[in-house]
Amino acid sequence: MPWPPKVFWVGLVVYYGFVAICWIAEATSGINHVVGLPFWYASFLGTFLIPLLMSVIYFYFPEKAEEARGGA
Amino acid sequence: MVTVEAPVVGITVLYFLAIVAIGYYSRQRLKSATDYYVAGRQVGAVVNGLALESTYLSPASMLGLPAYIFILGYPFWWAMSAIIAGMPIATLLTASALRKYAPTSFADYYADRYNDQRLRWLVGIVTVIGAVLYITLSIVGMALFLLAIAKVPYIVGVIVGTIIVMLYVVWGGMIATSWNAAFQAFLMTLAAVIAAVAILIKLGGISGFYEAVAANNPKFWNTPSDPEVPHLLSGTWIAVIGWFFVWHYGFATMPYTVVRFFTTMDIKTARRSIFWCTLAAGIFYMALQIIGAGSKLLIETGPMGGEGANAVSILKNYMAQYGVGGWPDYSMVAAVEALQNPWILGILCAGGLAIAMSTAAGWVMVVNTLVTRDWGDMMLKSRYAKENPITLARIISVIFLLVGLAIAVNPPGLVLDLSGWAFVVIISALGPGLILGLWWKRATRAAMWTTAIIMTPLHLYAWLKAKLVLGHHAFFFLNDVLFGDKTALITPHQVWAIPVGFILFIIVSLITKPVEKEAVEKYCIELTKEV
Repeated sequence: MPWPPKVFWVGLVVYYGFVAICWIAEATSGINHVVGLPFWYASFLGTFLIPLLMSVIYFYFPEKAEEARGGA
Repeated sequence: MVTVEAPVVGITVLYFLAIVAIGYYSRQRLKSATDYYVAGRQVGAVVNGLALESTYLSPASMLGLPAYIFILGYPFWWAMSAIIAGMPIATLLTASALRKYAPTSFADYYADRYNDQRLRWLVGIVTVIGAVLYITLSIVGMALFLLAIAKVPYIVGVIVGTIIVMLYVVWGGMIATSWNAAFQAFLMTLAAVIAAVAILIKLGGISGFYEAVAANNPKFWNTPSDPEVPHLLSGTWIAVIGWFFVWHYGFATMPYTVVRFFTTMDIKTARRSIFWCTLAAGIFYMALQIIGAGSKLLIETGPMGGEGANAVSILKNYMAQYGVGGWPDYSMVAAVEALQNPWILGILCAGGLAIAMSTAAGWVMVVNTLVTRDWGDMMLKSRYAKENPITLARIISVIFLLVGLAIAVNPPGLVLDLSGWAFVVIISALGPGLILGLWWKRATRAAMWTTAIIMTPLHLYAWLKAKLVLGHHAFFFLNDVLFGDKTALITPHQVWAIPVGFILFIIVSLITKPVEKEAVEKYCIELTKEV
């Protein structure tokens, strides 16, 4: 059966894991009420940096694998 | 006499000149039907990435999004986060495999994978419905920006905006659309960043911004776990999760993004283009989060506001003044007007036009290929379509834009709202066949037909019932029947349809005849190998 490469699942675990941790921390510790903090975790990390890192690993590792196979 | 400041006029005129020039120049590079449909598969990573951004993000991002954010509160930021995170997810889920396959139209994969050419009709019909709705929304968006910022009469804005899109789509097809969309992505991102930075400076940096927003809108930073929720529609964690997922998988499955994967030079370029898209769109959405959070405060303390002012009332005044669209559609314009800087307003006008035009052009390219090549040439075996593909594609582009223009002249509110329906119906009706077709050998032809035929009307009924009977598209359509309370469960745009579509597809696949082995080997196993 076809199956996406491991790096795909790594990206998903990192992103969904991060969102879940943030939501749990908001529900239990109220981190959303720390002045300025939602900007850093929901906007800078959650909307910009983590998706960007996912996009990097999603082209970097497949390209490395192609090179190892002697491809383009 | 309404006055418009010189920078607004100057920047808007420069923008129009630039995209017409790009369209005209790209005409010289058009040599074949493949150039027209998929830009000769020669688009580089940066251009395709930026084009993906501006095409995917609809004018709603630059019109009503600030109002959505200040009404639903900070939890809506997570819906925006999920839209951006959906971009990289598409890289290995659909983009790499589809580029390896290198089709020309959105329907190609379905017809080949399920070994059934008739699917070109089915996929095409669902796509055409979505295209008409989005093209109309985009034309209305263009005209609204011209009306509210440059004070151009609405009907003139509708006609001018449509003609300019028509010019460059007709001239250069996907080549012009790609280059213009990349330029438009740069502009709209720049516009949002400048406005966001101006807001942060005005409010005293990140901390000052947080505190000012909290002082103006005390429930804004709350979540469903706080005693007072920001809003009914973001008042439970189920609602927050619904907003999170409603647009999350669109990038991997929507026709206007999927066809952009076909235009890149190779699979490596396709993957890298999504990096550029995520970079630009991430910056754009961070900026919109700031603008949205601060917009209520800005509107209430700006020149239109004052002691005891209410942002919603002010926006309703805008709507009454201009007489088009809904009051949330003026939230971006009102927020930026409150900064009282004509240069920022001018760039916003160009950015707003950019996001609307790129979405309209992207959809026109999807449907002109489907109608000309799939329906005209392949299904109806039209000699004219076979011998004159570019001419016919140009005629089809003009027809779709004229249909959009005709509806946009006096747009019924429901038609504009239905673009939200179209987005989810395409994911739930056509998404399972695309994603499971690639990754599941057992995906069957009967499942493809059943899912598309059932999910399209079912979702339309659910969406209309929620909107017209219960009062909002975000109320679960069976709330009154199951819970006796129309607001019991919040399911934005009837987001449940996406998992239901996938489950239906899987069940029907398991009980129906598998697709021929050769098709499965070629369009499932081979395509997904080493993506």
